[in-house]
Amino acid sequence: MAGLTLSRETRGQFAAIARVRWQLTFNSLRTIRGRLEMVSRVLIGFWFTLGGIGGAIGLAVGSWFLVSNEKIEWLALMFWGIFLFWQLFPVVASAFIETFDSSNLLRFPLSYPAFFAVRLVYGSLDPATLLGCLWLLGIWTGISIADPRLLVGAGLALFVFAAANILLARMIFAWVERWLARRRTREIMGVLFFLIIISFQFIGPLAGRFGGKAHPDVARFTDLLLPLERLLPPGLAASAVAGFAHGNFLGGAASFAMLCAYVIAFFWLLNARMVALYHGENLSEGLARVSPKKEKEKLPVRVGWNVPGVPGPVAAIFEKECRYLSRSGPMLFTLIMPIVILMIFRLTPLKTDRDSFLLRAPDFAFPIGALYALLMLTNLVYNNFGADGSGIQFFFVAPVRFREIVRAKNLVHASILALEMTLVWLVVFFVFRPPSLDFTLATVAGILFAAPVNFAVGNLLSLYTPKKFDFGTFGRQRAANTTTFASLGVQAVVFGIAAAAIVPAYFLHRMWIATLALLTLAAIAFVFYEFVLSRVDRIAIARRETLISELSRV
Amino acid sequence: MDAPAIATQGLTRRFGELVAVSDVNLRVVPGQFFGFLGPNGAGKSTTIKMLTGLLAPSAGTIQILGHDLTANPVEVKRQIGVVPEGMALFGRLTGSEYLNFVGRMYGLDRETAAKRSAELLEFMQLADQPKTLVTDYSHGMQKKLALAAAVIHGPKILFLDEPFEGVDAIASTTLKAMLQRMISRGATIFLTSHVLEIVERLCSHVAIIHRGLLVAQGSIEELRAGVEAQSAAALQAGDAQAAPPSPGEKLTLEEIFLRIVGGARLADQELSWLG
Repeated sequence: MAGLTLSRETRGQFAAIARVRWQLTFNSLRTIRGRLEMVSRVLIGFWFTLGGIGGAIGLAVGSWFLVSNEKIEWLALMFWGIFLFWQLFPVVASAFIETFDSSNLLRFPLSYPAFFAVRLVYGSLDPATLLGCLWLLGIWTGISIADPRLLVGAGLALFVFAAANILLARMIFAWVERWLARRRTREIMGVLFFLIIISFQFIGPLAGRFGGKAHPDVARFTDLLLPLERLLPPGLAASAVAGFAHGNFLGGAASFAMLCAYVIAFFWLLNARMVALYHGENLSEGLARVSPKKEKEKLPVRVGWNVPGVPGPVAAIFEKECRYLSRSGPMLFTLIMPIVILMIFRLTPLKTDRDSFLLRAPDFAFPIGALYALLMLTNLVYNNFGADGSGIQFFFVAPVRFREIVRAKNLVHASILALEMTLVWLVVFFVFRPPSLDFTLATVAGILFAAPVNFAVGNLLSLYTPKKFDFGTFGRQRAANTTTFASLGVQAVVFGIAAAAIVPAYFLHRMWIATLALLTLAAIAFVFYEFVLSRVDRIAIARRETLISELSRV
Repeated sequence: MDAPAIATQGLTRRFGELVAVSDVNLRVVPGQFFGFLGPNGAGKSTTIKMLTGLLAPSAGTIQILGHDLTANPVEVKRQIGVVPEGMALFGRLTGSEYLNFVGRMYGLDRETAAKRSAELLEFMQLADQPKTLVTDYSHGMQKKLALAAAVIHGPKILFLDEPFEGVDAIASTTLKAMLQRMISRGATIFLTSHVLEIVERLCSHVAIIHRGLLVAQGSIEELRAGVEAQSAAALQAGDAQAAPPSPGEKLTLEEIFLRIVGGARLADQELSWLG
């Protein structure tokens, strides 16, 4: 790559790019939505900064301790943690954010060095890089305080380690950036991210259950991995610092040289991809195209679903909603959460003093699982049209009353709830203990009361405070603030009433009282639901402009 | 006498202080291929939204095939098909699923909806990617699908908002063939478009809206005659720029349009650096 000479034109281009970035941010503040977005970014930034500074202090103390106690090789653990975070976080976070497509820059007369520099700098201004650098600074501080002789040597090693991380992260992104720009890939990454998050939930219970036992296989596996670990950047950075610390300058210099070699290799690979991108190559185009073999595939004529007892349009909406849900990784994920939560409760340690509430009172496992299932539907129920996007216009030009559309959507919600409750009941049956008949009946009565109330209020809020969301994307899929607060209020009231009916009846050993009370409330709730439904057409017509403009927003 | 396909009386729409559409009186006869033209921001989309029930008028009435749209919206909607501005697609369905869904929403039975979906996908050359979601379709494919959805129930009137925008020549030919077939079978088509050559070729009648006001309405021949007469009168009054066409030459729709709404002219001294 030719050296980057900052000609007047290049300086002007850099200034223009920085300025347009600033203008985009500034212009986004013109709307309330944009301002709220900025506030949330500032808050997130604040927490990130706290985490970064806290982490840096922790790492400084840790590295000071290791160096002071002659355990410098253990620094590798810290370097590995930082390395993994630095490389994995941006890839996984791409599921939540739209990536900047710098190929847009190619139409401008930007020289290659300028293009490379913009890509490198723009891409490196991410939380992972900022946090990684901050944490390395903390480690360097800790090492230098513990042993001031290492100030320069450790500084150099950590600087090169940081460079290796930045270049590797950029290299990975240069190869997969466009791939990640595809909806389906982002969905897969989002699912993986949530799987990781859920697996973290199991660590505590599993460690409590299986911890404290020796596992020779793990030790053997670790012995195999250690030599390999020392040849990779985090291990090399630790070896270089350790070499300098122990007076083994040759060993330290060798590790440092290998680390530099990694930097050169990453740079070379990044440069190769950048040159190709600069000349217009796009890795993803081939992936998006349908293969000739696939093009020939044709599906036979398939008729729509027949849902017994409901009119054609309602059945059509029912089918459409089910297809939407079945294609939404994030939504399916949300819907399995009640099962996951019950499993987590079940796996908590069996020692009597640390038993979870559900292990001590398994009768409540089914009601709690059922209520959790209802809670998981909040996003769907309280933002009925969120996923329809500009398709909402079709509902206004179709010869179908809005109450039928809403009823069809509620039918889907009710079906999901019924399915979830069945699954929860089965999990409780096999994992805890068979739920008693009186608890099962009381829970079903409670849901018959809670669901219509939620559906009725949800239908109103769906019309009054709609918010577009993408079924295929994790994160940033929040309902309107009003909806969130109102739904929380409704849930609190409904759950409170249900608890007020169930708990006293449980202690009186008269669960039928709770069932009867909840069934009475269910009848009232159903009347309330029908009352709201009868008003839906008028509200939808009155609110159509807001609905269309809010949901068709790009 | 048959009721007009579309008739509006004093149709007006205000957005706060802005009057987007003002006192529009439209009359479209059944079987007409009607072009609704106007510069950007003139009020075309607002009008078509009001005619299809997507937007409430601030004042005025709308009659579709003799039915009052406000009083009897469901009956009107049964008889019309719409391709609105945003196409109103459901992105996470396949093309076939989407058409099936739309067909059933218009009251077709399951078998008919499925059969027509398959035929329409074939006709629109969309049948080759049966598993692709609508959200992954190209813009032109989405336009074709939106049109297929608008006609699946055999509407008597079709409202199209910019149907040829972003559509390639092959797709455009397919769309035009379908629209011509509908007209030959007695349907009425009301379309807005910026591509005046296409409007001139397809439409028998046009209306021009400018700054919210309906400034011309009639057959293209009537509009041409009106503009030529105006030009001749202006020339007599000493306006050298208002030259009528030479004998044997006919004004194109674009020229008629520009003369009615006033076209921008590049002054000699403007943008001199353009070379």
